[in-house]
This record gives sequence, C-alpha cells and structure tokens, in this order.
Amino acid sequence: MEHEKRQIVKVINDIDELFTLVDISLNRNISFHHHLRNGDYVINYVLNKYLKEKVQGINLFPSAIFPSYTSILELIKNKQINNITTNYLNGPVAEYISNNGLEGKLTMQTHGGRARSIIEGKNKIDIAFIAAPYVNSYGDSVGYLGKNKCGSLGYSIPDSVHAKIKVLVTDNLVDLDIESPEIDGSNIDYILLVDEIGDRQGIVSGTTEVTKNPIGVKIAKNTSLLLHELGAIKHGFSFQSGAGGVSLRVTKDVRDIMIKENIKASFFSGGITKYHVDMLEEGLVEKLYDVQCFDLEAIESLSRNKMHIPISASRYANPTDESQIIKDLDIVILGATEIDYNFNVNVTTDSHQTLIGGSGGHSDTASESKICVIVSPLIKGRIPVIKERVTTITTLGKNIDCLVTERGIAINPLRKDLIKKLKNSKLKIVTIEELSRIAYKFTNIPQDIVKHDKIIGEVEDRTFEIIDNIYQK
Amino acid sequence: MSRSYLFIPGNTPSMIQNLDVFESDAVIIDFEDSVTSYDKDSARILIKNFLKKYSYKDIDLYIRINSYDSLYFLEDVKATKDLDINGYVLPKASVKAIEELNKLSSKAIIPIIESPMALLEAKEIADQENVTALLLGAEDYTKELGINRTLLGTEILYARSFIAIVARAYNIDSIDTPYTNKEDEVGLKEDSLNAKNLGFTSKSSIHPNQVDIINQVFSPSKEEITEAKRIVKKALDNTKGAFSLDGKMIDLPIIEKAKNLLDKAKKYNM
Amino acid sequence: MKTSAGSLESSDCLITISDSDKLEIIIESVVFAQFGDQIKEVITNTLKEHKITNILVKCADKGALDYTIKSRLETALKRRGDINE
Repeated sequence: MEHEKRQIVKVINDIDELFTLVDISLNRNISFHHHLRNGDYVINYVLNKYLKEKVQGINLFPSAIFPSYTSILELIKNKQINNITTNYLNGPVAEYISNNGLEGKLTMQTHGGRARSIIEGKNKIDIAFIAAPYVNSYGDSVGYLGKNKCGSLGYSIPDSVHAKIKVLVTDNLVDLDIESPEIDGSNIDYILLVDEIGDRQGIVSGTTEVTKNPIGVKIAKNTSLLLHELGAIKHGFSFQSGAGGVSLRVTKDVRDIMIKENIKASFFSGGITKYHVDMLEEGLVEKLYDVQCFDLEAIESLSRNKMHIPISASRYANPTDESQIIKDLDIVILGATEIDYNFNVNVTTDSHQTLIGGSGGHSDTASESKICVIVSPLIKGRIPVIKERVTTITTLGKNIDCLVTERGIAINPLRKDLIKKLKNSKLKIVTIEELSRIAYKFTNIPQDIVKHDKIIGEVEDRTFEIIDNIYQK
Repeated sequence: MSRSYLFIPGNTPSMIQNLDVFESDAVIIDFEDSVTSYDKDSARILIKNFLKKYSYKDIDLYIRINSYDSLYFLEDVKATKDLDINGYVLPKASVKAIEELNKLSSKAIIPIIESPMALLEAKEIADQENVTALLLGAEDYTKELGINRTLLGTEILYARSFIAIVARAYNIDSIDTPYTNKEDEVGLKEDSLNAKNLGFTSKSSIHPNQVDIINQVFSPSKEEITEAKRIVKKALDNTKGAFSLDGKMIDLPIIEKAKNLLDKAKKYNM
Repeated sequence: MKTSAGSLESSDCLITISDSDKLEIIIESVVFAQFGDQIKEVITNTLKEHKITNILVKCADKGALDYTIKSRLETALKRRGDINE
C-alpha cells in the first residue's frame, strides 16, 4: 500500500508555535486564497501576527481581497505592506488603496496569470497560508467537505505546490484517506489547527439569483437570441457564465433553447452555481469544470457528481498549462463596469476611479473563448456604460467580441466573421459609437473626471504584458 | 392591431424612460392606481416634460387617466391633451364618462370595462365616438360581483366572451385583463391562450417580463400565416365572391380576416 | 414655505424648495462629478423659465435625467403656488 509510506505532516497548534519554526521576518511574501470569501477567518488570524510582530516590507499575494479582510487595511496604514498582487478586491481595503496607494504598488493579475506567475516563479511566495476545510494527517485536502466547506480549492493549488513553505490552516483534521484530493499532501509542510477557519454565513452568501429586473431580462434575451443566430448553441458546445444575475438569466435562456432543440453541451467552466448543477443533473451538460463554488448546492454537488470536477486555477486558465480548460471554451458571458470604443472593458475600477473588483477570470476567458459577449445595461444610474476610453483596462478590446445592451448590440469590427453571419439579423445591431449616442440622448455627455496624476498600480494581463496603469483618485 | 398593452406607473422615471425597451406594442402610462393622490400632479408634470423631449414612432402610447368621477379627471386631460399620445385609457368606463371625455379631447379612447353595469353597457360604449378598443378590468369587476378570481377564470368567462363579441361586432380591438401573478410564466401563457381562443385580439400586462409571452400568443402562427397567404392568393385569382379551398368554403369575411392577419404579421416582422 | 417633490429612488431626485432672499442651489448627487454642472444648469434654466429669482433649491439626486429634474422642480414650485399650469 503506497500511502503507508507517506509522511505524516507536522501539526501545529497555534500561529506563535509556527513562527518558532519559521522566521517571520525572513518570510514576508505571503499568499492566501479567497475561497471562503467574506467569511474567511484565516487571513486576519495570520496577518494579526504580522501586525503584532511589526513585520515590515510585506508583499501580499491573496487571490482576492474582500471587505472582511480588515487586517490588510491595518497593515497598509502601518506602512508594513510594500506590494499587493491580487486578482480582485473590493471594500475598505480597495477604497483605501484607491485614495492613498501603497508603499510599493498594486498589481492586478488574472486568475490564469496568477497561477502562471506562481508556477513560473514570477510571484515568489515564501509562505502560502491555505485555508482548508477538510484535511487528513498526510496533508491531503479537499474543499467540499467539512463544517466550513467552500467547494473547489482551485485558486490555492499553484500556491500549494510552488510556495517555499506551504501551511494548511484547518479546523477539521481527519484520520481518513481522501480520494482524489485537490491539494496533494506530499507538498505540504505544516498543518496549522484553528478553532474555525471561517463563518459559514459569509462563505456561502447564496445571493446569486437569476435576475427578474426587466432590463436585465431583456439583455439576457437579446444575448440568447444573438448566440442562437450565430449558431453557437449547438451540440457539444461549451459555455461559461459568471454568477451575475444577468449572466445567470442568459444561462436560463440558453437552457430553454437547448431543451427545445434537444442540444447537449460538452462542459461549463469557471464559477459554478446551483443553476449549472441542475443542468448537469438534467443531462444537458456533460461536465462542470469548477474553479470556484458560488453556493451550497454547487459545493454539495462536488461530493455527489463525478462529472462535476474541481480544477486548479492553472488548469482553468493558465495559458502555458497544456491541459488548460478554457482553450476549448466556445462562449463566455461577462460583465462590464465600462466599455470603450475599442471594446476595452473595465471591471477593475468604477467611473470614480475607486477599485471595485478586478479581472478574476475576465481577461482569461475573453482571450481564449471563441465568442466573448459582454452583457450590461446601456445606462447605469445616468452613467453610460460606453466611454471613449475606459477608466482602467481590465481586458483588451481585441479579445471582446460583442456588447449586448437593452437598446442594441454592438459587434467588434475585428470580428468580420460574426458581422457577416448577422447580416440579415432581426436583432438591433449597431456600431458601438451609435450605441453610445443612443445613451447620450438620455444622459448627455458626462464630464471626464479621470485623474492621471499618480500611478498606484498596474494591470498585468495573463501574457505578463502591462496593459494599463491604475491611478490614485 | 397591437398584441400587447403594458401598464407602467406614471410617476416612476426609471420605468418611463425605458418604456420602449420592453417590446410592448402599446404602453399605457398610468396616472390612476399606481400613482398616489399626493403625486397626481407630479406624474402629470413628469410625463408632460418626458413626452416633450422623447417621441416614439413604433409604440402606441396611451395614458390611463383617473376616472370621470374622481377629483383628477379634468386636470389629467387638460395636462395631456396636447401631448403626442395615441389616446386615453379610461377606467370605470360608462357612456356618460366617454361623452365627457369626448368633449375635452378628440383622441382615441380605450374604456376599461370593470363593473357589471359597464358590461351591460358594453355595446353602447363600443359605439361611442373615438372608442378604438375595449379593455376588460377583471379585478374590479369581480370585486363588485363579490367573487374571487381563479386561475382557470371561469368567473370571468361570460364577461370575456361578451367583450370579445361586442368588440368584434363593432370592429374594434379587445384587450384582455392582466394576468396578476407575475412569476408564473406557464399560467400567463395559458391565460393568454384562453383569451385568444375567446376572440380577444390582445392582452394587457402589469409587468414588463410578461410582454414576451403575450406577444408570442397574440402573434399569428406560422401555420396561420401560410393559410392566410393561400387564401389571399386564391382570392386574387378568383373573380367570384366565394370559392372553395381544401374543400372549405371561403367567403369575403374569411378573406378579410386573412388580410388582417397578414397585415399584423408584417407589422410584427414575422 | 417649504415644498418638495420627487423621491430618492434610482433615476429620480428629491427636490425641496424654500424661501430665500437670494438664489441658492444645493446639489447632492451620486453622479455629481460627472453631471453636477448640468444638474445646476437645468435647475437654473427652469427657474428662469418661470421667472423665479430668489429661492433656495435643494436637490438630492439619484441619477435623474434632465426631464425628471425639471419636472420635480416644477412640481415643487407648483405646490408652493409659484407656478400654475
């Protein structure tokens, strides 16, 4: 029996003990994942130690930053943090950085880009602190079991292999074998035991629902009609939609078409919700490749459905990973805070230059998919979604194919093939400039308020190209 | 010839400025039930300024004013009679109320039949000048009868049938009562089909998400269009008044009906 | 005398007007940076149109379009008896 030869991982009972074994001041590049979302206790637990020890020059590599990660704010205010490299951030930390910047700089990566950077050694991580809901003594782990289960652990897999020191932080250490673990214990150095890794309420917010807002419903309908006219909803197609209300409504409308025309999809990828699980269980799609679970139904499906497969961020979206899933992705539905005449999309900052998000898998999926559709209301609270130039480029326009709004659809002029296919369409297809003029008929032209005085960060694409700067508000 | 009539609240800018995105053939801007007494003036001023700035050539626009017996009737009409709208939807309709409205405006009128008395008067109402359609208001109608609404709608079967017949007899449109459960798409479809099968030409709705299904139901079907095309074609080739097609007698009313159906299909891009 | 019209719903604004011995306009808006000047212009022009000079106008804006701002102001003015149409 092979596992009998396996090493038992050293268990540590509190963080002070860990730092008797590891020199905290020499290990300042630290990473976390965000699978516990706003319910995460691990980040604050670990970083409070760095606060207490007054460690200077920290470089932080969380896959995302949520409002409850308040210790990060304190570290920034104390000037203990140098650089932050992440894929997504919102809440007080995001607001503070927007207004004040960092000692060093903020680097916004993509999910695929982060995985690639860690694997290729561009992001050098000293310690990966990995919140793990279900761990055995060998250090194997899965995310879809345990009292604080979160589903797929996808974003933490590269860290669990390539960080110098890998620490699983868990409240659930079992003495059982784990079949096909997401995290391979042979890479793990320590298991740090805590009372709770998170708060269930915050982990599974369960708020992603199909939109009922009539504008959103109209946008979704236009999108499914567009995909249908393009012949993209066909046997064996693959599809990704985020967990936004409009994206989910598109999924529902696509489902209706699939049932009506007896079409089966090959796979759905990305963040998975109960709606995707339902379609798997109805036999409408063959496989779910899951890098992140958005609700409890998705988490529970992982332990029930063999064809619901948790994948690492690298397998999901790393362009140099040979098994990259989204290379085979036909359709992706994405959102936008802003989009410009060149189809560049911003989901990183709002129109007031406050950081409100980030790429996540936006640029990754847009780059790889055959058809990338942006869904957005044309006007949001008097602000037109179309600008001459977005405040911050998250995803380059060359990777965006269509914009669908409630008042019309614009196709990227680079996609001559799509434009040709839609020549006799009954849908309202216009140029993006024309759509912008339609918006201005209602809103008038907003004053340009973007400041370009001080660079506080940059947007790094999955190619490692810096595609835009982030400026202080 | 509209298939769908969507009510939208008259004092809610977020709905008003999007009235053209919901794909309803006709929109009824409501000054009555969805606007509080306090805000009747607000709605009038809002709609006046809105319609001065924006115009819609592809949508029929109506305003549901307050009823003749209310305090707001006169002001509602005065504030809107110069606006670019197709006409008024008149709640609690009676012959008397329509006569009064006709004294103030020459716009089209869609009376809402929402009381037993109005139902009995329906023929006279349909015969009034400027009346272009009848709308059944089943909520108030059943309330006055002291009965409950059901999903099946047997309690309004007579009213529906009668209105559809009267409207057809007077050659005006008939508009079915809204389906009030806005979550139930299956129920909405069934309810719309019921109305269509009784002879209604269209249906009103209270939520934009209902428009799509109503348009589907009240659009001519592919089979209907093919059939109508054959009838019209054969009528052109035929000099006699009546002829036979697939063993069925085709006479003038059937040819007229086929022509109307093709007009409708053409208008709605089918 | 103080009157108001409108609401704090999205795409609407709440306008409150009261007596003043000069023209005062106070604007609070979710889109102030992009549209503050424009909102002020609509208010100023509407007051001019009705020949009103001395007044305090407070506008709490939730992304209202010009026609809405003008309408809410006119409603508030009408409720004070400043205009009657």
